Amino acid sequence: MKHAPTWLIAPALAAAAAMPAHAVQYLSIEQAQKDFFPGADRFEPISMLLTAEQKGFVEKAAGVRMRYFRQPMWKVVENGRHVGWVVQDEVYGKHEYITYAVALDASGTVRGLEILDYRETHGREVRNARWRAQFHGKRHGAPLQLGNDIQNISGATLSCRHLTEGMRRILALHEAVLQ
Amino acid sequence: MTARRSPASSKPADTLLRRARPLLGTLVAIRAAGTSTASTDAAIAQAFEVVSHLHARMSYHDADSDVSRINRAGAGTLEIDPHTWNVLAAARRLSEASDGLFDITVAPALAAHGLLPHHASHAEPAANATWRDVVLRSGHRVELLRPLHIDLGGIAKGYAVDCALDSLRRAGMHAACVNAGGDLRMFGDVPETIHVRHPLAPTQLLPLCALTEGAVATSAPYFSARQSGEQVVSALFDGVRRTPCPGARSVSVVADDCMTADALTKVVYADAAHAPAVLAGFGAYALLLDTDAAGRCRAKQSEGAGWRELSSELEVAAA
Repeated sequence: MKHAPTWLIAPALAAAAAMPAHAVQYLSIEQAQKDFFPGADRFEPISMLLTAEQKGFVEKAAGVRMRYFRQPMWKVVENGRHVGWVVQDEVYGKHEYITYAVALDASGTVRGLEILDYRETHGREVRNARWRAQFHGKRHGAPLQLGNDIQNISGATLSCRHLTEGMRRILALHEAVLQ
Repeated sequence: MTARRSPASSKPADTLLRRARPLLGTLVAIRAAGTSTASTDAAIAQAFEVVSHLHARMSYHDADSDVSRINRAGAGTLEIDPHTWNVLAAARRLSEASDGLFDITVAPALAAHGLLPHHASHAEPAANATWRDVVLRSGHRVELLRPLHIDLGGIAKGYAVDCALDSLRRAGMHAACVNAGGDLRMFGDVPETIHVRHPLAPTQLLPLCALTEGAVATSAPYFSARQSGEQVVSALFDGVRRTPCPGARSVSVVADDCMTADALTKVVYADAAHAPAVLAGFGAYALLLDTDAAGRCRAKQSEGAGWRELSSELEVAAA
């Protein structure tokens, strides 16, 4: 670097100007579907409620809890042929709440994973169903104003453990209900 | 603050896209501005491919990576991926410059504290092995003078950010930012604000600096801390003493490239007194955030061979 950077921290500390938690919207589920399967004719939503048995199977096979009986899933059809699946899921850790989409081919092999939304919280909210509920159905409408102007954060060593667990759950779900 | 606009705002016709995928054990986010949605989308996909390749070569956890091959090998010579070779060469330069405060061979100490897994297939490391035992040879070969375990964690992450950003630049993007779990690098023509986490309240963000081009890496123990026996330890290790660095500080380094920035955060963490001279040698700058007994956040910036306290100015400003 030719010059020292312009540090902004001093005025921020003086004014106690910490920003609230931040949020980023990367993709809508529709955009993710098109990115995964650009040649698809249609994405047929699968409306089904898991039975207690199926839920139990998923939890046992994946080794993680399944919180809901309903999971957003789409059957992908290209030239009249079934070519794969798109599954939407969400995971949350101590500070973060992530929705993401996974593409599977017709045999259940993972073709891709895209993060849809990433939201940070101050910790407690993320476990709170009412806090999480505010995001349901929000994706297609106006983005939430949660520190949306924050573009660049240095120092976020988030662990992807929850995403790995989520992937295991989705693969088990495929085995239980999509095969 | 004048620097809150996105890089696309300077060229209104640009398409600005953001994507994120789990890679390198964290979330890798890429933002790029190009002339069309299709070209920007393709450039981002290509950049993720680059990161994915580097992840596969340099992961500590993946049995097929160059890192695992080195850790299994014991002493001897191996041919490795040119990218892995580049990272090992950079690691050696950083170890030399910091007298071993930065040392990729601390992996066994990390594993002993439960911060890295034990792999049964790894060769038993020599207790006194250091970075000096990793010797780079021509033809992308590396010679290990003693059996040792390396972990390229942060430095490989920084290198992946650098390569992904190069890929976006080559693809003709006008502005871009790659952020791998807090190691970020950007280019463009509009300054942007970089935020850091409050060391005691990681979801609280503080504006750190304004940057148009360059890299920032921050090391802080808030997310990596683990209980180890009586101690809470983080993955930040002193390469000389081979012990976890104490304290809840946050260290940010600004440098031309992300690999250097990430490695230098470790040097500052391990030995703040000697770090400014090392930073100066790499044309890098650091900002250290600490908290006093009253829980107030204090800041100091590297300047020449020392540190300049910003807190006294703060009190004046606050008054």
